[in-house]
Amino acid sequence: MARIFGIDLGTTNSLIAVMENGAPRVIADPETGRTLLPSVVAIAPEGGVAVGDAAIALEADPKRPSVVIRSVKRYMGLGGGELGAEERRRYEFADFSGPVVRFKIGDRVYTPPQISAEILRALKRRAEAALGEPVERVVVTVPAYFNDAQRQATKDAGRLAGLEVVRLVNEPTAASLAYGLEQLTDGYVAVYDFGGGTFDISILNIKGGVFEVIATNGDTHLGGDDLDQAIVAELLAGLPEEARADRELWNRARAAAEAAKQRLSTAESAEIRLETGAGALARTLSRADFERLAAPIVERSIECCRRALADAKLAPAAIDAVVLVGGSTRSPIVRRRVAEVFGRDPFCTIDPDQVVALGAAVQAGVLMGARSDLLLLDVAPLSLGIETMGGLMERLIHRNSTIPTSVTENFTTAVDNQTHVDIHVLQGEREMARDCRSLARFKLGPIEPAPAGLPRIEVTFLIDANGILNVTARDQRTGREHSVDVKPSYGLTDAEIERMLEESIDLGERDIEERLLIAARNDADQILAALAKQLREYGNLAGDEERRRMAEAAERLAAARAGTDRELISRLVEELNEVSTPFAHRIMDEAIGAALKRKSVDEIS
Amino acid sequence: MITCPSCTRCTRAQAPALLCAGCGAPLGANIDLFAALNLPRRLVIDAVAMERAYHDLSRRIHPDRFAAAPAAARDASMRATALLTRAYRTLRDPVSRGRYWLELHGLKLGENNQRVPAELAAMVFETQERLEELHESRTPENLAAVRARRDEVAGALEAATVELTRNFAAWDEDGGEADERRREALFRDLKAILSKIAYLTTLERDIGRELETARAA
Repeated sequence: MARIFGIDLGTTNSLIAVMENGAPRVIADPETGRTLLPSVVAIAPEGGVAVGDAAIALEADPKRPSVVIRSVKRYMGLGGGELGAEERRRYEFADFSGPVVRFKIGDRVYTPPQISAEILRALKRRAEAALGEPVERVVVTVPAYFNDAQRQATKDAGRLAGLEVVRLVNEPTAASLAYGLEQLTDGYVAVYDFGGGTFDISILNIKGGVFEVIATNGDTHLGGDDLDQAIVAELLAGLPEEARADRELWNRARAAAEAAKQRLSTAESAEIRLETGAGALARTLSRADFERLAAPIVERSIECCRRALADAKLAPAAIDAVVLVGGSTRSPIVRRRVAEVFGRDPFCTIDPDQVVALGAAVQAGVLMGARSDLLLLDVAPLSLGIETMGGLMERLIHRNSTIPTSVTENFTTAVDNQTHVDIHVLQGEREMARDCRSLARFKLGPIEPAPAGLPRIEVTFLIDANGILNVTARDQRTGREHSVDVKPSYGLTDAEIERMLEESIDLGERDIEERLLIAARNDADQILAALAKQLREYGNLAGDEERRRMAEAAERLAAARAGTDRELISRLVEELNEVSTPFAHRIMDEAIGAALKRKSVDEIS
Repeated sequence: MITCPSCTRCTRAQAPALLCAGCGAPLGANIDLFAALNLPRRLVIDAVAMERAYHDLSRRIHPDRFAAAPAAARDASMRATALLTRAYRTLRDPVSRGRYWLELHGLKLGENNQRVPAELAAMVFETQERLEELHESRTPENLAAVRARRDEVAGALEAATVELTRNFAAWDEDGGEADERRREALFRDLKAILSKIAYLTTLERDIGRELETARAA
């Protein structure tokens, strides 16, 4: 059977890895040798997609206007109405309502799973090119604190990319697998995962190859992006409002801020220079300046650590090892604070950018039966419940319950001959239903007419090993299974995904590279056709030697056109153009001469 | 009686259990939580042995082991694992184990347990007074008074846990199997201890919250 691959679908970078000879290995791009694929997607208004470095190149190319989307992971599973004011400025959106964010590009609309699918497709292509085997089944990592809608959106992205997502694995848990902690220690391990856009803390109990997560906490909108944005806000603070709202300036400021932040991981200060409409903006950012901006953001992560320890009923001193994951843990302030809170120096021996992908590959190995010594027992990060009378949230599954987990509840009718019971499923820790996040709604029924309170419908809420809710219902009196049509509150419906899959086939959405190849072929066809026509009509104007050189160049171009080397085609188009220029000029002269002659004839008459 | 979704050797129906008697695959049946962990119905449990049993069974039935299996076997694995996990979570904690024991015998910590247990009345009353005072004014004296209450409540909780352990041991010793009156007494005892623990836990939580707000302010 085909191998299962591990994918880290990150906010800033994405990677693909696989088990080889019992060890996980990240697969590099066979052309560039790069292991990180920037999670950046460029979409041209008329369709056409570029991913990674190619997309970043388009960001700075005014000749080829594309919308360049970064950090799409932050939009996964969000409803249109959930976008903050700052986020609404970043891109153009189709609307601010509806159960899913919709980016507007040209006259087309894209949802976050479609954009994430492009990243997954690029990783699939990379691995297939590098290894020469098909990539069909994958493990994809998600932040431990991702809710149901965010997880479902990630699975949808996989489906749209033509991949079977065998399992979603939580990023910190994957990282702990990559470290091979089962060989180092039996005991409690804290994994502090501060990535580009999300933060997770997981506390695990490792015993004899069983990795049991006992508590997890986090924030799915807290990461390195926030550090960049804090620097941008400081940089642009002196500028007028309309300058700060300028998308293009903001993008350049973000890039400059990110670069400065990275330099400050090792340097004591970093220069930032930014061209604005009102002249250049120069600023020296010292590490102390940066840490002043970063401190409140880092403290939010520390607060999550405290909550996780409290849920695990452990004192910081009880933790035997602390592991750092994610690019943001390169900042000295982060390392310092983590060391202070846990009272020990954290591990960071594996590249924090690669560790999650490596762990995903290990879990893929477990699923293939190649690592039966290991077993992950993960948890649901958020409580699950239903709305009851008075708008209260009744908790059915508590946060940090080991998954898969299920609970069965009995429902009945409130009035005589009631035909349906409406159920509203919620996720979150607050007392009031309105303060929790709506997960889904469904109707039980049709129920056979009966006096109030007599029907008994048994509903099972099951959170599967991916952390995703499944609902089944059974009529206890008839023993009949009820079909439950769960309508998710956020995200795409099955029908929408089907339509997207069809559309992407119909429209033949192609890579920008492919589109450029088509453009080059069109150029070749045009010049070859023009030359053939000219030779037919004005053949007498070309000398034998010239005719031979043109024929050779045309032959070379025709041969290249049959291949896929876009640059070669363009070069040969240039060459043929050059070789045939004197001939073309002569034709022009001849044509002009003829026109002049006609003119003079006209004048005479 | 159920049939195993994985079994190729036998297709006969068997008694509900976590694992198929024929091939050892998960059955996804509805069985009691002691049986799920392969434990005798006894209230005193060796925590280390129980964890070992939980890990061992998880290794055999977890969905990770059935990633390539047919849908019915995958489904059974998920259901069996959910049951096993619930069993472990419920029986690991002595308080939820005690509550499950009542449930297993068709009993519940009823609504009529809303009254504050007499022996706790003074402690509850006094603690609520101190909490109110701290809420009104956050003086160091009021803070110290609440902290003292916290220690007292923690002490009472510890004592109640010891009582619970003693009750568990008594069940296992004679189980009240022969003597109906002895059995009734043990149930009454268990209910009283659990309801006391419920009160003390709520009290401890209230104190914790108040101290947390005081710290934040």
